[in-house]
Amino acid sequence: MSNSIPFNLDPPGTYLYTGQMATKGFKLTRFGLSLRDPANRERFLKDEAAYMREAGLNEEEIRLVLARDWTGLIEAGGHLQAMLKVAATVGQNLWHIGAHNAGMEVEELMRICPRTVSALPEGEK
Amino acid sequence: MARIVGGFGISHTPSMGLEYDKGLAQGFSPRWQKWYDGTRGVKAWLERAAPDRMIIVYNDHLNHFDFSAYPTMAIGVAPEFRQADEGWGLRPFPSLVGDVDLGWHLTEKLVRGGYDLTVCQDLAVDHGIYSWLPYLMDLPWTIPVVPVAINMVRHPIPTSERLHQFGKDIRRAIDSFPGEDRIVVVGTGGMSHQISGARFGIANETLDHYFLEKLKDETEELVAIPQEELMRLGGTEAAELAIWFSMRGALSDKVKEVHRYYTFPAITGCGVVVYEEPA
Ligand SMILES: [Fe+2]
Repeated sequence: MSNSIPFNLDPPGTYLYTGQMATKGFKLTRFGLSLRDPANRERFLKDEAAYMREAGLNEEEIRLVLARDWTGLIEAGGHLQAMLKVAATVGQNLWHIGAHNAGMEVEELMRICPRTVSALPEGEK
Repeated sequence: MARIVGGFGISHTPSMGLEYDKGLAQGFSPRWQKWYDGTRGVKAWLERAAPDRMIIVYNDHLNHFDFSAYPTMAIGVAPEFRQADEGWGLRPFPSLVGDVDLGWHLTEKLVRGGYDLTVCQDLAVDHGIYSWLPYLMDLPWTIPVVPVAINMVRHPIPTSERLHQFGKDIRRAIDSFPGEDRIVVVGTGGMSHQISGARFGIANETLDHYFLEKLKDETEELVAIPQEELMRLGGTEAAELAIWFSMRGALSDKVKEVHRYYTFPAITGCGVVVYEEPA
Protein backbone atom coordinates (compact mmCIF):
# COMPACT_ATOMS: atom_id res chain seq x y z
CA MET A 1 0.00 0.00 0.00
CA SER A 2 1.48 3.33 -1.01
CA ASN A 3 0.83 6.68 0.56
CA SER A 4 -1.76 7.61 -2.05
CA ILE A 5 -5.18 7.95 -0.48
CA PRO A 6 -8.29 7.19 -2.52
CA PHE A 7 -11.29 9.49 -2.17
CA ASN A 8 -13.80 6.72 -1.73
CA LEU A 9 -15.25 4.80 1.19
CA ASP A 10 -14.50 1.28 -0.08
CA PRO A 11 -12.33 -1.43 1.49
CA PRO A 12 -9.47 -1.76 2.10
CA GLY A 13 -9.18 2.02 2.41
CA THR A 14 -12.25 2.29 4.57
CA TYR A 15 -14.43 -0.12 6.52
CA LEU A 16 -17.58 1.84 7.17
CA TYR A 17 -19.13 0.73 10.45
CA THR A 18 -22.69 -0.09 9.43
CA GLY A 19 -25.46 -1.97 11.18
CA GLN A 20 -24.56 -5.16 9.31
CA MET A 21 -20.94 -4.85 10.47
CA ALA A 22 -22.17 -4.31 14.01
CA THR A 23 -24.24 -7.51 13.85
CA LYS A 24 -21.39 -9.51 12.39
CA GLY A 25 -18.95 -8.26 15.01
CA PHE A 26 -21.29 -8.00 17.98
CA LYS A 27 -19.45 -10.50 20.19
CA LEU A 28 -16.04 -9.32 19.10
CA THR A 29 -16.91 -5.74 19.94
CA ARG A 30 -18.48 -6.75 23.23
CA PHE A 31 -15.32 -8.69 24.10
CA GLY A 32 -13.09 -5.70 23.30
CA LEU A 33 -15.22 -3.36 25.38
CA SER A 34 -15.13 -5.74 28.35
CA LEU A 35 -11.46 -4.75 28.61
CA ARG A 36 -12.51 -1.27 29.77
CA ASP A 37 -12.57 -2.94 33.18
CA PRO A 38 -9.08 -3.32 34.71
CA ALA A 39 -10.06 -6.62 36.39
CA ASN A 40 -11.02 -8.04 33.00
CA ARG A 41 -7.78 -6.80 31.48
CA GLU A 42 -5.91 -8.77 34.11
CA ARG A 43 -7.95 -11.93 33.55
CA PHE A 44 -7.52 -11.65 29.78
CA LEU A 45 -3.76 -11.30 30.03
CA LYS A 46 -3.53 -14.39 32.22
CA ASP A 47 -5.07 -16.63 29.56
CA GLU A 48 -6.19 -14.85 26.42
CA ALA A 49 -7.79 -17.81 24.67
CA ALA A 50 -9.72 -18.96 27.73
CA TYR A 51 -11.05 -15.45 28.34
CA MET A 52 -12.16 -15.16 24.73
CA ARG A 53 -13.83 -18.57 24.71
CA GLU A 54 -15.75 -17.53 27.79
CA ALA A 55 -16.73 -14.33 25.95
CA GLY A 56 -18.29 -16.49 23.24
CA LEU A 57 -15.83 -15.76 20.43
CA ASN A 58 -15.45 -18.38 17.72
CA GLU A 59 -12.12 -20.01 16.87
CA GLU A 60 -11.48 -17.72 13.90
CA GLU A 61 -12.03 -14.60 16.02
CA ILE A 62 -9.76 -15.97 18.71
CA ARG A 63 -7.09 -16.68 16.12
CA LEU A 64 -7.32 -13.11 14.79
CA VAL A 65 -6.85 -11.66 18.27
CA LEU A 66 -3.94 -13.95 19.12
CA ALA A 67 -2.30 -12.99 15.82
CA ARG A 68 -2.92 -9.27 16.50
CA ASP A 69 -4.47 -9.25 13.03
CA TRP A 70 -6.06 -5.83 13.40
CA THR A 71 -7.19 -5.68 9.80
CA GLY A 72 -8.83 -9.10 10.01
CA LEU A 73 -10.55 -8.06 13.22
CA ILE A 74 -11.97 -4.93 11.66
CA GLU A 75 -13.12 -6.93 8.62
CA ALA A 76 -14.80 -9.34 11.06
CA GLY A 77 -16.85 -6.46 12.47
CA GLY A 78 -14.79 -5.63 15.54
CA HIS A 79 -15.36 -1.91 16.11
CA LEU A 80 -12.16 0.11 15.99
CA GLN A 81 -12.85 1.63 19.40
CA ALA A 82 -13.26 -1.85 20.87
CA MET A 83 -10.18 -3.26 19.12
CA LEU A 84 -8.31 -0.28 20.52
CA LYS A 85 -9.05 -1.58 24.03
CA VAL A 86 -7.56 -4.93 23.02
CA ALA A 87 -4.49 -3.21 21.61
CA ALA A 88 -4.03 -1.11 24.75
CA THR A 89 -4.34 -4.20 26.92
CA VAL A 90 -1.59 -6.04 25.05
CA GLY A 91 0.75 -3.05 25.01
CA GLN A 92 -0.02 -1.81 21.51
CA ASN A 93 -1.83 1.31 20.39
CA LEU A 94 -3.68 3.04 17.59
CA TRP A 95 -0.51 3.26 15.48
CA HIS A 96 -0.15 -0.53 15.47
CA ILE A 97 -3.71 -0.91 14.24
CA GLY A 98 -3.25 1.83 11.65
CA ALA A 99 0.03 0.41 10.40
CA HIS A 100 -1.48 -3.05 10.03
CA ASN A 101 -4.45 -1.58 8.17
CA ALA A 102 -2.23 0.51 5.92
CA GLY A 103 0.16 -2.38 5.29
CA MET A 104 3.30 -0.75 6.65
CA GLU A 105 5.55 -0.66 9.67
CA VAL A 106 4.59 1.58 12.57
CA GLU A 107 7.69 3.75 12.13
CA GLU A 108 6.92 4.24 8.46
CA LEU A 109 3.32 5.23 9.16
CA MET A 110 4.39 7.66 11.86
CA ARG A 111 6.90 9.15 9.47
CA ILE A 112 4.35 9.82 6.71
CA CYS A 113 1.55 11.05 9.01
CA PRO A 114 -0.25 13.37 8.66
CA ARG A 115 -1.00 11.99 5.19
CA THR A 116 -1.97 15.29 3.69
CA VAL A 117 -4.60 15.48 1.00
CA SER A 118 -6.35 18.56 -0.25
CA ALA A 119 -9.88 18.54 -1.56
CA LEU A 120 -13.14 20.35 -1.03
CA PRO A 121 -16.76 19.27 -1.55
CA GLU A 122 -18.06 19.22 -5.13
CA GLY A 123 -18.05 22.57 -6.78
CA GLU A 124 -15.88 24.33 -4.19
CA LYS A 125 -12.43 25.67 -4.79
CA MET B 1 -34.31 34.74 31.64
CA ALA B 2 -31.13 32.78 31.18
CA ARG B 3 -29.13 33.53 28.11
CA ILE B 4 -26.50 31.99 25.88
CA VAL B 5 -23.45 34.26 25.93
CA GLY B 6 -21.39 32.36 23.41
CA GLY B 7 -20.08 29.02 22.36
CA PHE B 8 -17.25 27.21 20.74
CA GLY B 9 -16.53 24.27 18.51
CA ILE B 10 -13.44 22.22 19.34
CA SER B 11 -11.75 18.99 18.26
CA HIS B 12 -11.18 16.11 20.64
CA THR B 13 -8.83 13.15 20.43
CA PRO B 14 -7.40 10.70 22.98
CA SER B 15 -3.86 11.91 22.29
CA MET B 16 -4.87 15.50 23.02
CA GLY B 17 -5.62 14.45 26.58
CA LEU B 18 -2.64 12.15 27.07
CA GLU B 19 -0.30 14.78 25.61
CA TYR B 20 -1.68 17.33 28.06
CA ASP B 21 -0.72 15.17 31.01
CA LYS B 22 2.71 14.50 29.53
CA GLY B 23 3.11 18.16 28.62
CA LEU B 24 2.45 19.40 32.14
CA ALA B 25 4.79 16.81 33.62
CA GLN B 26 7.74 17.11 31.25
CA GLY B 27 6.98 19.80 28.71
CA PHE B 28 4.93 19.56 25.53
CA SER B 29 6.27 18.06 22.33
CA PRO B 30 6.57 20.80 19.67
CA ARG B 31 3.44 19.56 17.86
CA TRP B 32 1.28 19.73 20.97
CA GLN B 33 2.90 22.88 22.29
CA LYS B 34 1.28 24.58 19.30
CA TRP B 35 -2.15 23.34 20.31
CA TYR B 36 -1.54 24.30 23.93
CA ASP B 37 -0.51 27.81 22.86
CA GLY B 38 -3.36 28.02 20.38
CA THR B 39 -5.93 27.31 23.07
CA ARG B 40 -4.70 30.01 25.50
CA GLY B 41 -7.01 32.54 23.89
CA VAL B 42 -9.99 30.25 24.31
CA LYS B 43 -9.19 29.75 27.98
CA ALA B 44 -8.96 33.52 28.46
CA TRP B 45 -12.26 34.02 26.64
CA LEU B 46 -13.97 31.39 28.74
CA GLU B 47 -12.78 33.11 31.92
CA ARG B 48 -14.16 36.41 30.64
CA ALA B 49 -17.42 34.85 29.49
CA ALA B 50 -17.81 33.46 33.03
CA PRO B 51 -20.59 30.98 32.27
CA ASP B 52 -22.76 29.75 35.13
CA ARG B 53 -23.58 26.59 33.20
CA MET B 54 -22.39 24.80 30.09
CA ILE B 55 -24.07 22.52 27.58
CA ILE B 56 -21.62 20.22 25.82
CA VAL B 57 -22.68 18.31 22.73
CA TYR B 58 -20.09 15.59 22.16
CA ASN B 59 -19.80 11.96 21.25
CA ASP B 60 -18.94 8.86 23.22
CA HIS B 61 -16.51 6.36 21.67
CA LEU B 62 -17.92 3.12 23.08
CA ASN B 63 -16.48 4.09 26.43
CA HIS B 64 -19.72 4.42 28.36
CA PHE B 65 -22.33 2.91 26.06
CA ASP B 66 -21.95 -0.34 24.21
CA PHE B 67 -23.93 -1.99 21.45
CA SER B 68 -26.29 -3.76 23.82
CA ALA B 69 -27.99 -0.35 23.75
CA TYR B 70 -26.35 2.53 21.93
CA PRO B 71 -28.45 5.70 22.02
CA THR B 72 -28.61 7.86 18.92
CA MET B 73 -28.96 10.95 21.10
CA ALA B 74 -28.59 10.95 24.88
CA ILE B 75 -28.58 13.61 27.59
CA GLY B 76 -26.74 13.29 30.90
CA VAL B 77 -28.70 14.46 33.94
CA ALA B 78 -26.82 13.79 37.16
CA PRO B 79 -24.96 15.67 39.92
CA GLU B 80 -21.67 14.39 38.54
CA PHE B 81 -20.19 12.57 35.60
CA ARG B 82 -17.20 10.35 36.22
CA GLN B 83 -14.34 9.87 33.81
CA ALA B 84 -14.51 6.75 31.66
CA ASP B 85 -11.61 4.28 31.67
CA GLU B 86 -10.80 3.96 27.97
CA GLY B 87 -8.58 0.94 28.44
CA TRP B 88 -5.36 2.60 29.59
CA GLY B 89 -6.48 3.69 33.05
CA LEU B 90 -7.88 6.93 34.42
CA ARG B 91 -6.16 10.28 34.02
CA PRO B 92 -5.62 12.41 37.13
CA PHE B 93 -8.82 14.44 36.89
CA PRO B 94 -11.96 14.64 39.00
CA SER B 95 -15.51 14.00 37.87
CA LEU B 96 -17.40 16.73 36.02
CA VAL B 97 -19.97 18.65 38.02
CA GLY B 98 -23.39 17.95 36.54
CA ASP B 99 -26.19 20.46 36.08
CA VAL B 100 -29.31 18.64 37.21
CA ASP B 101 -31.67 21.64 36.95
CA LEU B 102 -30.71 22.61 33.42
CA GLY B 103 -30.49 18.93 32.49
CA TRP B 104 -34.11 18.26 33.42
CA HIS B 105 -35.25 21.53 31.91
CA LEU B 106 -33.64 20.64 28.58
CA THR B 107 -35.02 17.11 28.80
CA GLU B 108 -38.53 18.45 29.38
CA LYS B 109 -38.39 20.96 26.54
CA LEU B 110 -36.54 18.83 24.03
CA VAL B 111 -38.47 15.59 24.53
CA ARG B 112 -41.76 17.46 24.38
CA GLY B 113 -40.35 19.24 21.37
CA GLY B 114 -39.86 15.99 19.48
CA TYR B 115 -36.40 14.71 20.45
CA ASP B 116 -36.61 11.20 21.87
CA LEU B 117 -33.55 11.58 24.05
CA THR B 118 -32.18 8.75 26.15
CA VAL B 119 -31.78 10.21 29.63
CA CYS B 120 -28.66 9.04 31.46
CA GLN B 121 -28.62 9.47 35.22
CA ASP B 122 -25.27 7.73 35.31
CA LEU B 123 -22.82 8.60 32.57
CA ALA B 124 -19.07 8.13 32.34
CA VAL B 125 -17.49 10.67 30.01
CA ASP B 126 -14.54 9.89 27.75
CA HIS B 127 -11.99 11.94 25.79
CA GLY B 128 -14.89 13.53 23.91
CA ILE B 129 -14.84 16.03 26.79
CA TYR B 130 -11.87 15.08 28.96
CA SER B 131 -9.26 15.62 26.24
CA TRP B 132 -9.79 19.36 25.71
CA LEU B 133 -11.32 20.48 28.99
CA PRO B 134 -8.01 20.61 30.94
CA TYR B 135 -6.60 22.99 28.29
CA LEU B 136 -9.44 25.42 28.92
CA MET B 137 -10.25 25.17 32.59
CA ASP B 138 -8.15 25.12 35.72
CA LEU B 139 -9.03 22.81 38.58
CA PRO B 140 -11.23 22.63 40.49
CA TRP B 141 -13.91 22.37 37.79
CA THR B 142 -16.91 24.15 39.23
CA ILE B 143 -19.12 25.10 36.28
CA PRO B 144 -21.96 22.56 36.08
CA VAL B 145 -22.42 20.90 32.71
CA VAL B 146 -25.08 19.11 30.73
CA PRO B 147 -23.43 16.61 28.38
CA VAL B 148 -25.34 15.52 25.29
CA ALA B 149 -23.96 12.45 23.54
CA ILE B 150 -24.55 11.92 19.81
CA ASN B 151 -23.96 8.56 18.16
CA MET B 152 -20.98 8.79 15.81
CA VAL B 153 -19.67 5.24 16.11
CA ARG B 154 -22.19 3.21 14.09
CA HIS B 155 -24.09 4.29 11.02
CA PRO B 156 -26.70 5.60 10.61
CA ILE B 157 -25.76 8.71 12.60
CA PRO B 158 -28.04 11.75 13.03
CA THR B 159 -28.10 14.00 9.98
CA SER B 160 -26.37 17.36 9.87
CA GLU B 161 -29.78 19.04 9.44
CA ARG B 162 -31.07 17.35 12.56
CA LEU B 163 -28.07 18.33 14.65
CA HIS B 164 -28.28 21.91 13.44
CA GLN B 165 -31.96 22.06 14.30
CA PHE B 166 -31.21 20.45 17.65
CA GLY B 167 -28.97 23.40 18.47
CA LYS B 168 -31.70 25.84 17.53
CA ASP B 169 -34.10 24.01 19.82
CA ILE B 170 -31.58 24.09 22.65
CA ARG B 171 -31.59 27.85 22.21
CA ARG B 172 -35.38 27.98 22.41
CA ALA B 173 -35.29 25.85 25.55
CA ILE B 174 -32.82 28.21 27.20
CA ASP B 175 -35.18 31.12 26.55
CA SER B 176 -37.59 29.61 29.07
CA PHE B 177 -35.02 28.67 31.69
CA PRO B 178 -35.63 30.85 34.75
CA GLY B 179 -32.97 33.07 36.29
CA GLU B 180 -30.29 35.29 34.84
CA ASP B 181 -27.66 32.66 34.24
CA ARG B 182 -25.02 32.90 31.55
CA ILE B 183 -24.74 29.78 29.44
CA VAL B 184 -22.03 28.61 27.03
CA VAL B 185 -22.74 25.93 24.44
CA VAL B 186 -19.97 23.68 23.16
CA GLY B 187 -19.92 21.35 20.17
CA THR B 188 -17.01 18.95 20.01
CA GLY B 189 -15.97 16.46 17.37
CA GLY B 190 -12.78 15.54 15.61
CA MET B 191 -12.04 17.39 12.37
CA SER B 192 -10.51 15.53 9.43
CA HIS B 193 -9.22 12.12 10.46
CA GLN B 194 -9.62 8.42 9.90
CA ILE B 195 -8.34 5.84 12.34
CA SER B 196 -9.01 2.55 10.59
CA GLY B 197 -8.56 1.08 7.14
CA ALA B 198 -5.74 1.77 4.71
CA ARG B 199 -6.74 5.45 4.65
CA PHE B 200 -5.59 5.70 8.27
CA GLY B 201 -3.96 9.05 8.92
CA ILE B 202 -5.67 11.07 6.17
CA ALA B 203 -5.34 14.79 6.84
CA ASN B 204 -7.37 17.28 4.83
CA GLU B 205 -6.39 20.62 6.32
CA THR B 206 -7.95 22.39 3.34
CA LEU B 207 -11.32 20.93 4.28
CA ASP B 208 -10.90 21.83 7.95
CA HIS B 209 -9.99 25.45 7.19
CA TYR B 210 -12.91 25.66 4.79
CA PHE B 211 -15.22 24.41 7.54
CA LEU B 212 -13.90 26.89 10.11
CA GLU B 213 -14.20 29.69 7.59
CA LYS B 214 -17.82 28.97 6.71
CA LEU B 215 -19.31 27.80 9.97
CA LYS B 216 -20.40 31.23 11.21
CA ASP B 217 -22.14 32.78 8.21
CA GLU B 218 -22.49 30.01 5.66
CA THR B 219 -23.75 27.34 8.00
CA GLU B 220 -26.52 26.18 5.68
CA GLU B 221 -24.01 25.52 2.95
CA LEU B 222 -21.97 23.29 5.27
CA VAL B 223 -25.05 21.57 6.62
CA ALA B 224 -26.06 20.71 3.05
CA ILE B 225 -22.84 18.76 2.41
CA PRO B 226 -23.69 15.05 2.55
CA GLN B 227 -21.95 13.39 5.48
CA GLU B 228 -20.54 10.78 3.05
CA GLU B 229 -18.80 13.64 1.27
CA LEU B 230 -17.20 14.84 4.53
CA MET B 231 -16.06 11.28 5.20
CA ARG B 232 -14.80 10.72 1.67
CA LEU B 233 -12.69 13.87 1.72
CA GLY B 234 -11.75 14.17 5.37
CA GLY B 235 -11.84 10.59 6.61
CA THR B 236 -14.67 8.64 8.21
CA GLU B 237 -14.31 10.36 11.56
CA ALA B 238 -14.71 13.78 9.95
CA ALA B 239 -18.42 13.01 10.21
CA GLU B 240 -18.06 14.22 13.80
CA LEU B 241 -17.94 17.75 12.39
CA ALA B 242 -21.73 17.50 12.24
CA ILE B 243 -21.77 17.90 16.03
CA TRP B 244 -20.41 21.43 15.60
CA PHE B 245 -23.70 22.34 13.90
CA SER B 246 -25.55 21.96 17.20
CA MET B 247 -23.29 24.56 18.78
CA ARG B 248 -23.76 26.89 15.80
CA GLY B 249 -27.52 26.36 15.85
CA ALA B 250 -27.68 27.31 19.52
CA LEU B 251 -26.18 30.73 18.77
CA SER B 252 -27.77 33.67 17.02
CA ASP B 253 -26.83 35.08 13.62
CA LYS B 254 -25.43 38.14 15.38
CA VAL B 255 -22.44 36.35 16.90
CA LYS B 256 -18.95 37.67 16.50
CA GLU B 257 -16.03 35.31 15.94
CA VAL B 258 -13.53 36.11 18.68
CA HIS B 259 -10.99 33.32 18.35
CA ARG B 260 -9.89 30.69 15.85
CA TYR B 261 -6.98 28.29 15.83
CA TYR B 262 -6.04 25.23 13.81
CA THR B 263 -3.15 22.78 13.70
CA PHE B 264 -2.61 19.15 12.74
CA PRO B 265 -0.44 17.53 15.43
CA ALA B 266 -0.58 13.88 14.42
CA ILE B 267 -3.72 12.00 13.43
CA THR B 268 -6.55 14.46 13.86
CA GLY B 269 -7.15 17.99 12.70
CA CYS B 270 -7.25 20.09 15.86
CA GLY B 271 -9.31 23.21 15.52
CA VAL B 272 -11.25 25.55 17.72
CA VAL B 273 -13.50 28.50 16.96
CA VAL B 274 -15.18 30.76 19.51
CA TYR B 275 -18.31 32.83 18.91
CA GLU B 276 -19.60 35.49 21.26
CA GLU B 277 -23.09 36.92 21.43
CA PRO B 278 -23.44 40.71 21.54
CA ALA B 279 -23.87 41.95 25.13
FE1 LIG C 1 -14.58 11.67 18.47
